[in-house]
Amino acid sequence: MTADSVLADVSAMLVDIVGEDYLLDLEIGMDTSFNDDLELESIEFVTLAEKLTERYGEEVDFVAWLAAMELDDLIAMTVGELVTFVASSLAAAGPAA
Amino acid sequence: MSRFLIVVPPLTGHTNPTVAVGAELAARGHVVAWCGFASFLRPLLPDGAEVVPVGEDLPGDVVSAIEQRSQGLRGAAAFKFLWEDFLHPLADAMVPGVDAAVRRWAPDVVLVDQQAVAGALVARRHGLPWATSATTSAELVDPFAGLPKLRAWVDDQLRAFQVEHGVAESDADPAAVRFSPHLVLAFTTTALVGEDIPFPGHWAFVGPAFAGRPTRTPFPWEWLDPIRGAAPRRPAVLVSLGTVSSEAGGRFFRVAVEALADAPYQTVVVAPPALFAELGADGALGDRVLVRERVPQIDLLGRIDAVVTHGGHNTVCEALAHALPLVVAPIRDDQPVVAEQVVAAGAGLRVKFARVRPTDLRAAVDTVLGDPSYAAAARRIADSFAAAGGAAAAADHLIALASPGDRP
Repeated sequence: MTADSVLADVSAMLVDIVGEDYLLDLEIGMDTSFNDDLELESIEFVTLAEKLTERYGEEVDFVAWLAAMELDDLIAMTVGELVTFVASSLAAAGPAA
Repeated sequence: MSRFLIVVPPLTGHTNPTVAVGAELAARGHVVAWCGFASFLRPLLPDGAEVVPVGEDLPGDVVSAIEQRSQGLRGAAAFKFLWEDFLHPLADAMVPGVDAAVRRWAPDVVLVDQQAVAGALVARRHGLPWATSATTSAELVDPFAGLPKLRAWVDDQLRAFQVEHGVAESDADPAAVRFSPHLVLAFTTTALVGEDIPFPGHWAFVGPAFAGRPTRTPFPWEWLDPIRGAAPRRPAVLVSLGTVSSEAGGRFFRVAVEALADAPYQTVVVAPPALFAELGADGALGDRVLVRERVPQIDLLGRIDAVVTHGGHNTVCEALAHALPLVVAPIRDDQPVVAEQVVAAGAGLRVKFARVRPTDLRAAVDTVLGDPSYAAAARRIADSFAAAGGAAAAADHLIALASPGDRP
């Protein structure tokens, strides 16, 4: 699965969580920040984790990835970093994914 | 007779519960003083209350941190700012003054707010029994579940702070300055925090402690009942973002006004009037919304049917003590945790502070007012608060701590 198609997936999940009414002025891209641009709330991270598992299965361990984040990484976290993480997790899991 | 020194940060919500506890201790013949910044403390304390100042005014960096915090940091960025730019500099600024206060005033027990870590460090330095004043419940349960590196980061801050102030590296246990090993006074109950959590035995859930604060703030009470004598009267809704966040609440206040302008309620919005250009001289926006800079909140809650709030611990507990259902729009810090407690207890709904639309907010208010289960859950929590004992129970625990021989 390419980074572009993961970005499309993740963007759709985020639009679903945040609500498209709020994203009129914001096109989600690799540089979009979770904290400053999306203002994603902690409870919404839980929803995102569920959606990622639903879409990609156990190979993409978002919760463990998040748990390894330093504070500054969390503040600066972008959609691109999540996309890269998902793509590399899928690649590591092999072509079956 | 014992001497109790109460160390507080310059935060209204963290100080008010201690005012009630201090009054209770004084009424039983004990001697009480507050230790903090004098210009901040005096307006909050009753006339004649003793202040042992760590300084007259807040240091400039702490003032600017408080102002900056009200502007709009959220999430992990707000968390970092809280510790790095506010609590840690505040603690540094307070250590010498608290130390001098302890030497001069010679307390038997120190009551330390959970965010005034300078008090804990000094009490430990002098080998005094001390209690933690937990005026918000967010940190009573692990706030770092799922994010262990955040805990490690705070622990590093707390360790560095202690070492900077002369604590040996081996003794600089981060937990030692957050929660007292002797007594933790939690101004809430497990009915709100969660019934199934195993808390340590020296944690006392005393419920909220409300000071008999003087309410000289005028309020047009007749406005709440415009169709006088009509039965049933229109339900009344209070919208408040507390003392710290009202400046940053412009969008939220406008959404609230739009949501409730035509609703069959009388809505009081506590907000800066300058936010609303079309405001009448009396603060009225149409006949169903009233905007006031300040309200006599405790008195007002006796006449209110539901509260829309950012989830500040004091406002939430005051509303629940009046058995009022809530709509909570958390902004930062402990507020998301408090909001989840309210939702889990069934006493209210959560909406998104930054993104809620008028239709969403209206629906949430309609639901908590229309479905009696929310008021019933709020009533259960109100009963648990009343049973917990509040300031009197807190005083019992503190007096027992001051007289170890009498301890059971």
